[in-house]
Amino acid sequence: MLLRSLLAAVVTTIALAAPSLAQQSGRELYERRCASCHGPDGAGREGLGPSLTGAGAAAADYQLRTGRMPLQNPQAQAVRKPSVFSEEETRLLVSFVASLGEGPPIPSVDPGAGDLSSGQSLFIANCAACHGAGGNGGAVGNNAAAPSLYASEPQTMAEAMVSGPGQMPVFGFSEQERNDIIAFISYLQTSEAPGGIDIGGTGPVPEGFVGWFFGLTGLVMVLVLLVGTGSSRAR
Amino acid sequence: MIRYVESRLGLDSWGRRALRKVFPDHWSFLIGEIALFCFIILVATGTFLTLFYRPDAAVVTYEGPYEPLRGQEVSAAFDSVMRLSFEVRAGLVMRQIHHWAALVFVASTVVHMCRVFFTGAFRRPRELNWIVGFTMLMLALGLGFTGYSLPDDLLSGTGLRIGYSALISIPFAGPYIASLAFGGEFPTENVISRLFVLHVMLLPGLTIALLGAHLAILWRQKHTQYRGPGRSESNVVGKGLWPYQALLSLGVMALTAAVLALMGGLVQINPIWLYGPFDATTVSAPSQPDWYMGWLDGATRLFPPWEPTVFGVTIPSMFLPAVLLPGLFFTVVALWPFIERRLTNDAAEHHLLDSPRDEPGRTALGVAGLLFFTVLTLAGGNDLIALTLDIQVESMTRFFRLAMFVVPPVGGALAYRICRQLRDSREHPLGRGSGVVLRRTEQGGFEEVPRS
Amino acid sequence: MKAERVVRGCFALSLAASVGLSLVYLAGGSRAWEGVLLAAALGGIAVGFILWATRLIDAPDNVEERREQKPGEGLGLISEVLEQSVTGVSRRKVLAGLASGAAASLGAALAIPSLSLGPQPGRSLFRTLWVPGIPAVDSEGGRVRPEDVPLSGIITVFPQGSEGAGDSQAVLLRVAPDLLSLPEARASWAPQGCLAYSKICTHAGCPVGLYRAQARELLCPCHQSTFDVLTGAAPVFGPAVRPLPQLPLAVDEDGYLVAQGDFSGPVGPSFWNVTQ
Repeated sequence: MLLRSLLAAVVTTIALAAPSLAQQSGRELYERRCASCHGPDGAGREGLGPSLTGAGAAAADYQLRTGRMPLQNPQAQAVRKPSVFSEEETRLLVSFVASLGEGPPIPSVDPGAGDLSSGQSLFIANCAACHGAGGNGGAVGNNAAAPSLYASEPQTMAEAMVSGPGQMPVFGFSEQERNDIIAFISYLQTSEAPGGIDIGGTGPVPEGFVGWFFGLTGLVMVLVLLVGTGSSRAR
Repeated sequence: MIRYVESRLGLDSWGRRALRKVFPDHWSFLIGEIALFCFIILVATGTFLTLFYRPDAAVVTYEGPYEPLRGQEVSAAFDSVMRLSFEVRAGLVMRQIHHWAALVFVASTVVHMCRVFFTGAFRRPRELNWIVGFTMLMLALGLGFTGYSLPDDLLSGTGLRIGYSALISIPFAGPYIASLAFGGEFPTENVISRLFVLHVMLLPGLTIALLGAHLAILWRQKHTQYRGPGRSESNVVGKGLWPYQALLSLGVMALTAAVLALMGGLVQINPIWLYGPFDATTVSAPSQPDWYMGWLDGATRLFPPWEPTVFGVTIPSMFLPAVLLPGLFFTVVALWPFIERRLTNDAAEHHLLDSPRDEPGRTALGVAGLLFFTVLTLAGGNDLIALTLDIQVESMTRFFRLAMFVVPPVGGALAYRICRQLRDSREHPLGRGSGVVLRRTEQGGFEEVPRS
Repeated sequence: MKAERVVRGCFALSLAASVGLSLVYLAGGSRAWEGVLLAAALGGIAVGFILWATRLIDAPDNVEERREQKPGEGLGLISEVLEQSVTGVSRRKVLAGLASGAAASLGAALAIPSLSLGPQPGRSLFRTLWVPGIPAVDSEGGRVRPEDVPLSGIITVFPQGSEGAGDSQAVLLRVAPDLLSLPEARASWAPQGCLAYSKICTHAGCPVGLYRAQARELLCPCHQSTFDVLTGAAPVFGPAVRPLPQLPLAVDEDGYLVAQGDFSGPVGPSFWNVTQ
């Protein structure tokens, strides 16, 4: 962790000191890893990858940090996986994509400054329709799914809100609103379910399964075993 | 004590006969008892909940210990359920037991009805009791729907809204019925208090009355029984009420309560704090009703975009799957004893039960009906299945649209064949231990010979 | 006698669990322990009684004869009694008719108060609170300019003064204007690519809160009706038939969004005389 932040600090210093150099190696990395789908100049390629002009640092940082890019199959929905880039490579790529055109910068985020209650109501009003009231994710049709939020970090969640990755809309929240929402999601991530085992946290469907296959089936099985029939006990 | 009552009421001869009343000794007769005991547990826990619940749509500020909602404006009803869940000692466990009991209550009622259906126990003279039982199932569904809506949370509010849309879809009368039921155009403030009266007074009262009738008719007509040695149409063989059946039933009651208590204590159900208070402008996904309404939700999901106009009257796309379909399905279920009597011309009294294999036609129909119900129920969770299996929701819907027409007849035909084959084979599970088997005689008839 | 020892153990366990349950209550309560101890207390009794009945009681099979329920035996007597006493009634056809008429009218008269349960729907299903020139505001009441809505963004708006109104809620979206292919008559309804549609699904009335920004489709999470934003919210999948009614928008001289009038059709789920 210490090493990582130290490295980050070094990289930042280098990037600040020699922006042209950083951009240079960012471009090289881009051409090697991204250009096959997004085009050599970031203009995108029909059917492979969208234009990155104006995508902004937030979108690039989100996609790379959550491992969604690079994507093996351009037709599939990008899902979270371990990032293939080092912290330094990520920074280089992000600053290169940001230089392609004006787009949302990486938002600053401070969940500690967020208000839980405001976050809950903003979450329900804006996020729950796709990610579910408990943040467990959901299918949104057309081969897309809103991911579960239980693995998400504050930084990438804020980036998703401002950049609208994939089918997600862009949300024009204020910084305070973003902090509120992220504070609420962090609360969900860290707090225990007050009612016990949360069986997936997606409401009546798993509840019905448990009611049938644990509740009633369990009861009937005990009866079959203990009571059976008069003749089954006699034998 | 018993002597005291005996001498005052003069029940000794009735009581002596009652204590010797015969109950067939078979576990499948206890499923109806599970339903009965679930209902008793529902009344007990429900009474506890009622002491804390406020059927009031007035807006209050939530000030309880659940941090993410503190300071938000909620209805007094929602607030009271939150207080019950987080501040009342044993409140949450009671609420969860109540909700689990509701799910298991309807489930055990359905299984009990299936037992009665597949064994032909509904035949004369028990058609009346079938109707009484069926009416109780309808009341159970009503109790479930009204109870689900009382916390006034976002999920249940969405359910109410769909209920409103189903009502308004009825041709001509729809807008009037919906307006009368909800006290105006959805959302209204009247609904909660109306549902409360239905849920804690009217529907349970009717259920208790019918339960009494159900048991009285059962007592009067005596139990059916499976075939077996010494069992005939004119007797009942089994164990006496006292002490065997009484202790057993007490045990089943405690068992039902124990399983529900375990679930209520350990498994979270209906976390209204996550859904938050009802707000007509928001929705969370996935959005589903409790399981026993899931098949109607599934039917509406599968229904094609079809809204024909017949003589200037629009038939909304909600009407067929959400009003007409359950109407027809339930009518057939309710009238089944009479329909079967028509079909088979069998007006005789029956006290010996069929094995499902003995009536392949009935069994096939029942299997097809259950499969239809199952496909629709699964379709009600199509988005969750799609997410779990990583399949497009739209493909799921198309698959279920097909399955709805293919699975029931195929399953029914399969059941029919299996029944026929089992029936033709000599091994009969209910004949086990009967001591006699049938053997064909040289003259072409049958004779009973002792089992070797 | 093994069974008897098990039964004894069950009851003892139940007793202990009940004591434990009381202690948990007194100590302030704990959901999980309450559930587990209650289950143990009941479960002990359950298994105890079931085993007692099935393993310890040597109850012989009793045989109870059924009384034949010949039609006309028990029932016949009652109906005969009824018939005898009713002859005085059934002969007086006019009286009987009048009596049943009176009873029926009384029933109808008593049913009329049920009409006070709700107002006549009237035309209210065809109207919302949007009127020409009324500003569109967000849920906090703040007025909205086109540039307040991010491209690929979605917010919920209401007519000013009726924030939170169930029937008037609308989703406000902004797309690049050159992508739009609205019906010709609606060409002026989407200033700077700002589109507003009723948020109430035309199928079952759920809020259409799910926006697939890349596909520019609105989806209702209740039954997956899907609407194409660019073509006037025409349904493209699911059970909905009618498009989401569109709210004609305009920009006033201060640069804020206002409505040109009410929605393009009745909002919410269909009913028998809904206009397509």
